[in-house]
Amino acid sequence: MVIGNMFRGNARYFLLILVLCVFSSCFQIIEEINMAADGSGTVNLTLNLSASKTKVASLMLLDSVNGYKVPSKQQIQKEMEEAVAYLRKSHGISNVKKTMDFENYIATVSFAFKNVSNINHVNQNVLKKLKIRAINNSSYSFSPETGIFQRKYLPAKEALVEYNKLKPEVKNVFKEASYTSIYRFERPVAVNTNPLSKISKTKKAVMLNAGIMGLINGKTNISNQITLAK
Amino acid sequence: MNYYFKSAIAGSFLLGTLAVNAQDLSRKIPADALAVATIKGGNLTQLMSVTELNQSFFGKKLMEELAKDQQADFRGIADFGFNLSSDFYYYNQSNDSVSYNCFLLPVKDAAKIDLLFSKRGKKFTLKDQVRSYFNIDSTEMVHWNGEMLFSVIPTEKTAYFNRPEVRERFGLSKIDEVSLYPATADSTVVMDAATATAAVEEQEEIVTPEPVKKKHSIPAKNRSKKSKLKGKKTAAKNYKKKPIRKKVVAEQEETEEMGAAIDMVAVDSAYTENDGVEDNSFFYDIKLKKGVLAKWTAKMSDDFFAGKSQGSILSNADFTKSVDHNAEVTIWISGVEKLSNAYLPLDYFKGVNFMGGYGTANAKLFLEDQLIKMSSAMTFNDDMGSVLRKVHQRKLNKKFLKYVNEDQMIGYMAYAMDTKAYLQEYPKLISKIYGSVYADEIGMATDLFSLLLDEEAIGKVIKGDGIFIFNGLSQKEVSYKSYDYNEDNFETTEVMKTKKETLPDFLMMISTEDTRLIDKLIAYGVKKELVKNNNSYYEISIPKSPMALYFTIKDGVIFLSTNGQEMQQIVNNTFIAKLNAKHKKALLGNNYAAYFSPKKLAGKIPAEELGKLAKVEKTNKTLNAMGDIYIRSFPMKGNTFSAEVSMDLPAGHKNALKYLFSISEDLQK
Repeated sequence: MVIGNMFRGNARYFLLILVLCVFSSCFQIIEEINMAADGSGTVNLTLNLSASKTKVASLMLLDSVNGYKVPSKQQIQKEMEEAVAYLRKSHGISNVKKTMDFENYIATVSFAFKNVSNINHVNQNVLKKLKIRAINNSSYSFSPETGIFQRKYLPAKEALVEYNKLKPEVKNVFKEASYTSIYRFERPVAVNTNPLSKISKTKKAVMLNAGIMGLINGKTNISNQITLAK
Repeated sequence: MNYYFKSAIAGSFLLGTLAVNAQDLSRKIPADALAVATIKGGNLTQLMSVTELNQSFFGKKLMEELAKDQQADFRGIADFGFNLSSDFYYYNQSNDSVSYNCFLLPVKDAAKIDLLFSKRGKKFTLKDQVRSYFNIDSTEMVHWNGEMLFSVIPTEKTAYFNRPEVRERFGLSKIDEVSLYPATADSTVVMDAATATAAVEEQEEIVTPEPVKKKHSIPAKNRSKKSKLKGKKTAAKNYKKKPIRKKVVAEQEETEEMGAAIDMVAVDSAYTENDGVEDNSFFYDIKLKKGVLAKWTAKMSDDFFAGKSQGSILSNADFTKSVDHNAEVTIWISGVEKLSNAYLPLDYFKGVNFMGGYGTANAKLFLEDQLIKMSSAMTFNDDMGSVLRKVHQRKLNKKFLKYVNEDQMIGYMAYAMDTKAYLQEYPKLISKIYGSVYADEIGMATDLFSLLLDEEAIGKVIKGDGIFIFNGLSQKEVSYKSYDYNEDNFETTEVMKTKKETLPDFLMMISTEDTRLIDKLIAYGVKKELVKNNNSYYEISIPKSPMALYFTIKDGVIFLSTNGQEMQQIVNNTFIAKLNAKHKKALLGNNYAAYFSPKKLAGKIPAEELGKLAKVEKTNKTLNAMGDIYIRSFPMKGNTFSAEVSMDLPAGHKNALKYLFSISEDLQK
């Protein structure tokens, strides 16, 4: 038995080295908000690790990597359940749904809100539950009267501090990661203040695509003020 | 000055024309040096003339830098005044209380060194043909004459200065008092300082056997009031600006007077006393310690120039044996155990001897016409030596060579160790390290280890030798899910995309004798569908991975490969082996052997992995500019274990030094 363990231990270690050196890694965060005229709406959050599924699959065979604990499938599912349970209890939030695709490593959470400001606290906590240290100091507001949708965002200094603490191999994970936000409205958009974002053909949607690195180091500003046509 | 200048010129001229070895300063290195580093200026200037060096990018950059921050016009490296064709030394000398980092450089023209200092506004004194420069708190000293330049940077041993009896002797505050109580009354401080002076002398007798000269301990009252006042003023100024570290203990001209430092400490603390603020014992301690260090260092360098050191390192046979006139750089360590004892805070390890059994060591750098080579050797005591000899008695399995083709490979790594001997000797090693402290516990643990492990049985499963052959990189396509957004309303749709993953191609071989356990593991794997049986060899499926791994066991060798075709050839006995004599010798004759050909890798790294085109080009250029690299260890010679790393020079370079300059210049671009 001891020999078996030793052998397996060595094989695992060998596999780990191979995996870390070999497979590329990147991920995608997509945030979609569909706004109704009365200020209610729906949110869809997606975390897509499919492009690095080879690496994730290999890593999940291991207990820990570089001192970071690798969660098991059960653990991930449990944490997702907790996040959903938290959402269901949150004020103004309803119709919470989640999907977990362990074949492609894609997780989604969707829910409806009474007022977009309900998301402000929730978003952060969901990301926290998913163990993603992301976008802080962020808030949404929408006024049905003026037709102004506002996304306020201030880069968090802690993000860069935390990032700098990571080991170089782990830092690489963030280098090719991307963040996409899509806001959809019932009325056409008249003014869109963020030069990084673009307006769809129907003028009813605004999309912003940015690298996660820009968000971490504060170089990318995703704040936006969208004024809808009267 | 004029007379001195002339004689220095004449002296250096004379020295310069004499044979290179006439100025060998190694005789000045004390016999108790813990480590010595030698740079052979003669060898280096033969590989690259001083003129060439000046014209190199490095020389030009150095001159530019110097021109920037000072007015002196240096036309070349020779203008620094050193004898570039002689040997340069660094050595470390330590005792229980202080560690001296010493630099010993051959001087060709002392006047030029004078200029080097004076032009930078650094004052020095002259006494008996020896110039002396002290930094602001006298903890760094530089002395030079027409023959050599000697620079010392002392470091205190914290453990020593933390000992209660030592603290008491030097008048340092008690450890638990530091930062708890403000400094004591004025009179006590002065008295303490006086005791400290006495204590310093007592200590010096431990450092060097010679009795301390009377003049070193001039009583405070004999010293000029002016210097006292000056010290007080500077100290006051500094105290306000920066309370920690940068303390002016003594003015430069005063440091010649030994003991001045101690006096300043008294003056300084008197000042802070009057100020009546915060706790001063911490800064007081720092100053006092610096004063003590400065005094020891001054004494040490005085003795050095007076030739009072206790014998020369040349009397140490191991050192003289390590001297290799062909090596450009040599580092010699008198004893790894000694050195680690001198530096590790042993109090914390409570007698656990991690470096026990490690003896003298050396490392050498050779810059030759065809190759760069770095060799290192370590001598162990008999116990460790016998363990290592037993562990290293295995040789690499000859059968491995039937499956190596040098045209295909980019590199390899091979090792041969005796698993059985290792498992048997390992407990003994552990008990050597911890034995003195945890004898009972270690005894039980090692017995249990032996009881649980059947060393012989394990040694049969994995005998201890193996080889990893790196054949290159290949790309495999993998698909993944992503999202597309339509232009109308940015509605998302899930799409399948493909990308290329770069994978290594390798073959690994490990010797085995008893395959029963592995057979069972395979059977288990097949049952659990982790392993696929391809008749003559097996395939391991890694979930969601584009990489396939194949393995088989044949003739007592476990084969693991990324290439199914290669595995088929191995099984069918159709593998075509090709290996030159140099590789064969390296693999079969040594316990560790590795080879890497950067040139063969050049152009094989997929561009996607590197990103920008410029980066691809730079990587390939660097890889192409490198020669083949070999690493190997040699069979144990007595108790000495030695190893070597070498790189063949690519064609078109006159020698290794010029090559290194050209490659580092390229990398700067």
